[in-house]
Amino acid sequence: MKAVQAKPALRDEGAKLGFRLTLPAQILVLFIAVFPLLMQLYISLTDWSPLSGLGWWNAWSLWNNFANYTDLAADARFWSALKRTAIVMIICVPAEFLLGLALATLFADEFLGRRVFYSILLMPMMVVPAVAGYMFFMLFQSGGPVNDILSALSGFPVTIAWLSDPTLALIAVMIADIWQWTPLMFLILLAGLVGVPEDQIKAATLLGANSWQRFVTIVLPKMKTIIIIALAIRVIENFKIFDTLYIMTGGGPGVATETISVYIYKLTTQDLIWGYVAAIALAILIVLSIAAVFAMKRMARAREVLA
Amino acid sequence: MSAIHLQNLVKKFGDFTALKTMDLAIADGEFMALLGPSGCGKSTTMNMIAGMEEPTSGKILFGERDMTGVPMGRRGVGFVFQNYAIFTHMSVRQNLAYGPKMRGAPKAEIDRRVGAIAEMLQLTPLLDRKADRLSVNILQRVAIGRSAIMEPAIFLLDEPLSNVDAAFRAVMRTELKQLQRQFRQTMVYVTHDQLEAMTMADRITVMDHGVLQQVGTPLEVYNDPANVFVARFIGAPGMNLLRGRPAESDRGLVVDLGPLGVTPPLPVEITAAVRGVRGEVLYGFRPEQVTLAESGRGLSMPVNFVERIGARTIIHLGDGEAAVKAVLDNDVALSVGQTAVIAPAAQSVRVFDAATGLAMKAG
Repeated sequence: MKAVQAKPALRDEGAKLGFRLTLPAQILVLFIAVFPLLMQLYISLTDWSPLSGLGWWNAWSLWNNFANYTDLAADARFWSALKRTAIVMIICVPAEFLLGLALATLFADEFLGRRVFYSILLMPMMVVPAVAGYMFFMLFQSGGPVNDILSALSGFPVTIAWLSDPTLALIAVMIADIWQWTPLMFLILLAGLVGVPEDQIKAATLLGANSWQRFVTIVLPKMKTIIIIALAIRVIENFKIFDTLYIMTGGGPGVATETISVYIYKLTTQDLIWGYVAAIALAILIVLSIAAVFAMKRMARAREVLA
Repeated sequence: MSAIHLQNLVKKFGDFTALKTMDLAIADGEFMALLGPSGCGKSTTMNMIAGMEEPTSGKILFGERDMTGVPMGRRGVGFVFQNYAIFTHMSVRQNLAYGPKMRGAPKAEIDRRVGAIAEMLQLTPLLDRKADRLSVNILQRVAIGRSAIMEPAIFLLDEPLSNVDAAFRAVMRTELKQLQRQFRQTMVYVTHDQLEAMTMADRITVMDHGVLQQVGTPLEVYNDPANVFVARFIGAPGMNLLRGRPAESDRGLVVDLGPLGVTPPLPVEITAAVRGVRGEVLYGFRPEQVTLAESGRGLSMPVNFVERIGARTIIHLGDGEAAVKAVLDNDVALSVGQTAVIAPAAQSVRVFDAATGLAMKAG
């Protein structure tokens, strides 16, 4: 028998075989991920909507010379929705992160009732967002529990119309988001925290580092990767904030809590300009993708450092 | 630098007693090995010296200072972890500078101290390397340097060589011993490997089941084990122990081993302690200190197994309670099934009380 040698040609053969074997899966992925994107791009270049009476594949007859994109650039309502979404994100995500980190630090140590509190803490995350929305809608009614509590604390009857005031409505919506998603942050960060090598923390202690110094010099750098993952997940999710918010305020009063998702939803269901919606969605997808790629790069670098 | 005194140290974890009343004095500048099998309490002892655990009762003194209850960051203890616990997200320089920096030393001073310690440990060319890609002996030096820069009163080492492959261990042992000479620091070294303890330590503390068994120089614990545990634990293979009763013969005091016959006369140094004992004793001798003898001049036993390890050959004789090993020349012409007559060298013979396990010594 002749000894089999792995010649380069043979390796190419292997790669070809591998390609053929994975082809069905690749086609499937193509359909799931790439096709809808292309379809969206196609529609975004037209005035097509279901009411046009044409199948989407015939949308080319409604070609509008990039009007959707030029409209988008000039759409003040779009830009203010984008700004609002950014404000919500800039407040909610750091708040969720800091609360989650504080809770994770607390729960990294053993204490009485830890398991019970742990379970309770995770509950908001499991509530269906629509239910959470209804819950907060009730809580923030002018005769609702939030005002009752404020009345009891202050001694004066408080009848704030939370969801009717533009600023307060936005605050209420953010409180609901922080309530619901801090547990996820907590869970991810706790996993990262318990993964920090105990020995290195002890070594730092023996070298005279106090608990704050240990946290800054050892714990946080070791958690870098997981922190980036947690932030990336929440930034992307929060950017798409919709269900809870929509049930609480419907984007109102007026457009005071109208985020990108709410705006898109209204355009889709009320204005029925699907070509325009496709253009907005694509623009946002591009923005989020750039953010995600940036986060992934940071993560890869952090992992390299920690390996 | 500082001496260490452990006074009546006890550690309990719930119902489990990890350490039973330990008294130990470690001299200033001494290299002391804490040696014992897993679960003997050696790591617990070290953790209490470091302040990672507090004793249930008893005291820990560094020199004259009572350190019991002092938090671990303030004991001035250098600690080298089993896996070195190097801060892998930092450079070698940042690792070395960590202690002084956390204590708020001025930058110029930190640089000077890091420079000096790096020079001493030959780490200067590696200072700006990331600490996650270093070989084990460099890791060891960084770990020692990181502690040494704090000028600790004492150095504790927790089995630092246990993750190193056997061939490299010899290199690391030599290096560690040289470093200790350089620093002249009191060092406490925890290990379950007697070779490490024997080769590096000034004195060895042998422990088992939370009880201190013997403290002595490597040769003392090898030559004069205080009890049966130390006799069996120290040496590779450990000491041979045969059950019997003291008996008088025309050649002097011997031990009657029953079916194995009687031993050669006991050395005069221990006859006084053994004479008159009525109970059972254990007749002990080192496998290395055995010669082959003519019939009638030693113990006659069947050869059960021949283990040739290169430099020497280990002969396994007898079985069950009456099994012994003899380490002989590598070309010894014995094979399984033959009967060998072995004579322990008289000066190596030790006798232990079978009931208490303690060595029987004059005085």
